[in-house]
Amino acid sequence: MNGSNSRNKTAATVKGPDTDIGGPAANSRERKSGGGVMKRLKSRRNQSDQQRPVVTEDELRALARDITPDDVLGLRVVTRDYLCKPEDNVFNIDFTRFKIRDLETGTVLFEIAKPNNCDSEYEEEQNGDGDTSAGRFVRYQFTPAFLRLRTVGATVEFTVGDRPVDSFRMIERHYFQDQVLKNFDFDFGFCIPNSRNTCEHIYEFPQLPEDLIRLMVDNPYETRSDSFYFVDNKLIMHNKADYAYDGGQ
Amino acid sequence: MGLLTILKKMKHKEREMRLLMLGLDNAGKTTILKKFNGEDVSTISPTLGFNIKTLEHKGFKLNIWDVGGQKSLRSYWRNYFESTDGLVWVVDSADRLRLEDCRQELSSLLLEERLSSATLLVFANKQDLPGSLSKEAIREALALDQIKSHHWSIISCSALTGENLLSGVDWLLDDIAARVFTAD
Repeated sequence: MNGSNSRNKTAATVKGPDTDIGGPAANSRERKSGGGVMKRLKSRRNQSDQQRPVVTEDELRALARDITPDDVLGLRVVTRDYLCKPEDNVFNIDFTRFKIRDLETGTVLFEIAKPNNCDSEYEEEQNGDGDTSAGRFVRYQFTPAFLRLRTVGATVEFTVGDRPVDSFRMIERHYFQDQVLKNFDFDFGFCIPNSRNTCEHIYEFPQLPEDLIRLMVDNPYETRSDSFYFVDNKLIMHNKADYAYDGGQ
Repeated sequence: MGLLTILKKMKHKEREMRLLMLGLDNAGKTTILKKFNGEDVSTISPTLGFNIKTLEHKGFKLNIWDVGGQKSLRSYWRNYFESTDGLVWVVDSADRLRLEDCRQELSSLLLEERLSSATLLVFANKQDLPGSLSKEAIREALALDQIKSHHWSIISCSALTGENLLSGVDWLLDDIAARVFTAD
């Protein structure tokens, strides 16, 4: 029996990992009629998110204390700026690879890796001089076909400095314009000092209707995400990304 | 829709399992993980940390943790025991010289309090290699029949070809499900 093939079939029924993750493209191929776009999106949000008090970026900045997971879970729009400084990353956690693959065809759709990672081809990351967003921002450009994918695997690879990390958690929030598309929350727990780690979330795109997909294609870079990383419940890294789906048009 | 159906659906949604995959270095843990998920296994380098996959399989939400098996990393294994439902112990069936080492590591894991409620699946891996021992020989070398504290099973497999990976994982899930999800 070929494990790979049968796994691919099984994986095609994969659902979102934690809450319904959006991944870098929170979309789906199934487009059903009935029920407004926003209504459908709202019903997707997990209950705790709905019951959570809404908080704004300015309110969080005014706190003048460390940002916690609870804080960012209350955000309802993408932040204008980073909520922590690059130097807050005292554990020297470094994201070295992002990869997205389509499990139905087994194709790698996107891969970016930092240099010194010699086991595959890579693209240089932008190294803005004096730009504080250097290495903290990724721009993804996809074709509309990306929105027709059914099952994808999103991999991150990261290295950890020479101190053990007790509790590492990531929260990624995806938005289109002023709407939360989805929230993804994963606890890595302990990380070994000087380790290189990977995590792949295999999930099914949530079902978004055709009209929303058209909006997302027609409004490049208005799909955005904030990735927040916490050690011991304290924000230590904040990365941003935006997405276009109008490639090749 | 009856109440029972609704309750079942709710349960179904929450059926999350944590599997921890351990074994000596070069046993094939990462290759198993990748092959199981339809990834290329032609170039796998030693794991110097962990590899996690989250996926849905047979209606379960699986979090599979593969932690590096080098000697220097084994003292960190304990950091990953918490909440483990299934322990997958991977054996290089052709590595006869380290079978005793392999037996010792496994037996000390089985004494761990936080793994006491985990089901054990032993993968007798690398059956594609000519010199590999049979699962019966591995079973004896690891003294599996002496295990009374855990549900266990041994399955021969090849991570390279994918042979038996699915049936092994399915056995593990069925055993966990029978223990955890039918009691309530």
